[in-house]
Amino acid sequence: MAEARRNPGFGGVFMNGLITENPTFTLMLGMCPTLGVTTAAMNGVSMGLATTFVLVFSNLFISLLRNIIPDKVRIPAYIVIIASFVTMIDLIMQAFLPDLRAVLGTYIQLIVVNCIIFARAESFAAKNPPLLSLADGLGMGLGFTVSITLLSCIRELFGSGSIFGFSVMPEAYQPMAIMNMVPGGFITLGLMMVLVNFIKKALSARKEARA
Amino acid sequence: MSTFLAILVGQILVNNYVMCQFFGICPFLGVSKKFDTALGMGLAVTFVITVASFITWLVQSFVLTPFHLEYLQTIAFILVIAVLVQLVEMALKKLSYSLYQALGVYLPLITTNCVVLAVAINNITDGYNLLESTFSGFCSALGFTLALLLLAGIRERMEVSNMPKWMQGFPGALIMAGLMAVAFMGFGGLI
Amino acid sequence: MQAKWTIAPAPHVRDNVTSRRIMIDVCLALAPAGIMSIVYFGAAAAGLIAISVLTCVLTEYLYQRLTGAKVTVGDWSAVVTGLLLAYNIPASAPWWIPVVGGVFAILIVKQLFGGIGSNFMNPALTARAVLFISWGSIMGAYPATQLMADTVSGATPLALLAEDASQVNLVDLLIGNCGGVLGETCKIALILGGVYLIVRGIIDWRVPACFIGMVFVCYLFMGGFDLALKEILAGGLMLGAFFMATDYATTPTSVLGRCIMGAGCGLLCFVIRAFANYPEGCSFAILFMNVATPLIDRFTMTKHFGEVKKHG
Repeated sequence: MAEARRNPGFGGVFMNGLITENPTFTLMLGMCPTLGVTTAAMNGVSMGLATTFVLVFSNLFISLLRNIIPDKVRIPAYIVIIASFVTMIDLIMQAFLPDLRAVLGTYIQLIVVNCIIFARAESFAAKNPPLLSLADGLGMGLGFTVSITLLSCIRELFGSGSIFGFSVMPEAYQPMAIMNMVPGGFITLGLMMVLVNFIKKALSARKEARA
Repeated sequence: MSTFLAILVGQILVNNYVMCQFFGICPFLGVSKKFDTALGMGLAVTFVITVASFITWLVQSFVLTPFHLEYLQTIAFILVIAVLVQLVEMALKKLSYSLYQALGVYLPLITTNCVVLAVAINNITDGYNLLESTFSGFCSALGFTLALLLLAGIRERMEVSNMPKWMQGFPGALIMAGLMAVAFMGFGGLI
Repeated sequence: MQAKWTIAPAPHVRDNVTSRRIMIDVCLALAPAGIMSIVYFGAAAAGLIAISVLTCVLTEYLYQRLTGAKVTVGDWSAVVTGLLLAYNIPASAPWWIPVVGGVFAILIVKQLFGGIGSNFMNPALTARAVLFISWGSIMGAYPATQLMADTVSGATPLALLAEDASQVNLVDLLIGNCGGVLGETCKIALILGGVYLIVRGIIDWRVPACFIGMVFVCYLFMGGFDLALKEILAGGLMLGAFFMATDYATTPTSVLGRCIMGAGCGLLCFVIRAFANYPEGCSFAILFMNVATPLIDRFTMTKHFGEVKKHG
């Protein structure tokens, strides 16, 4: 990993987004869709992929145009680029996946203000060549997808007794409805982060012990 | 009159954008460490959302709908909001420098606060008229500010308590927010 | 009357002996209501109370052992949480309800924030709300007491009051011969316990007084004296006002703050009871005021000695 960081190639940047700087668990970005749509695993995956789509293309285009866009109007310029791709995915979903679009609702339109996309545009795509930016977008997007899929699996498991719609809990299990509501989202993510912190602490302690 | 009461109670308590609908979580968690910064953010957001609700309604009714450009809603609204935030920043700098100093740092963050865009879109979806839209924007912002201040109060208190290390920062704030949301659930069905 | 320990804000109460003595007193005060619940609901009540207390104590013990913290089970606070949680569960609930509730109350609401005195919401009440939201049909089923005629089974006094106040008998309300969760039915036992705590100087009388007073006044304006009197005796109001709204860690420290807290609970309780989905607003009202407590403290607290207001 250290090697990759020193000389970040396509793979290094990709893995960085996926794991090392996971947008949900390390950078704490894009919290609204993370919590808002994760009541069912399917929603989590779709939201993640839609965000990845926007992130990859906005990163690519912003990176391509990074020497053309004047510094002063860069924010409105980014917004227009991001909003165009959001509108694109929104229209595509309305045409081909109307049911899913209805479930995800306003959150699709709100990808435009998802801070992951803004943060990556500002801190990565504006400074790096197109190919690396593409890798960053892909890594960050998939990192986001993996995190929210995990979260939505846990919430669906306890809140509905199923995963991806297949019931896995024994018949006697009574679904814990609060997991599908706002408090359940906050608390589950909070507990997952506690766990991540716990593991990180244990890992670094082991590393120190070895050194 | 009853519409306005319903909007007031609805946007602040029953359908609070943060506590009941998961919007604006990033600033909610990001700027709730201190009461004073939370208050500053709350005021700035209140101002921007109220004005943005007003303008986006006009844009929708007099530009997008007449020219059948509804599919450009996202782009149009986010541009309006971004420009508005920029204008507010510039105006504050010229008119009241002390207010600018107090609120200035929060303004750029508001563009990516999804409550602003969500309120603007929902106003149109709910079919509010101009006055109702503006009022609904104002109330939503008050609800956001209320949630922000409540969390800030709790987090300031927790500073002096002996929270375990792995709870400090975001995980703790998330669980606090979750428990707060439990309390907000009691208002279900009020309107 | 004002006992000296009520002045200190909750996070500073660190003396194990003091909190232990207080908690044992609270357990004593809760005992009459517990005995009455066993009288009314039989062995099921005893079982639920035992499971709940056991779960709470065990969770606290295991958490503190696993994280290497000092084991503070001896301060009896987990027992109080367990009792309060059990009192908020209907007799017909299955055994896992108090288990889930107890783990949630102790682990998430209390220990994750640093244990006794550090929780910002009442653990038992938060757990009850979570259970209620999750399994509404289980938590909202109120079996009739053993002494009741079958005809009224299932309907709580609150539901009956919402229809017609004359359906509810005042004496039944007082002795607790009515539907409801375990600990809330017998008002005499609860008032007895509450008065004991006030006399011992453990709770501040202002919180329950403002709380109950506010609900009374609101209903007085809405439906007259008869309704108001029955409303304050129905549901979980007495249990909440005396035992849950007075929790040290989750109540403002100043006198004015406590009055605001009590009155706020009362107002919200009235609003939720009268206008919202849930029949009983008492627990949500207290939880909301718990959340608002740091802010109330902020605006009512006397300035610390030597503190200077910063300008600019």
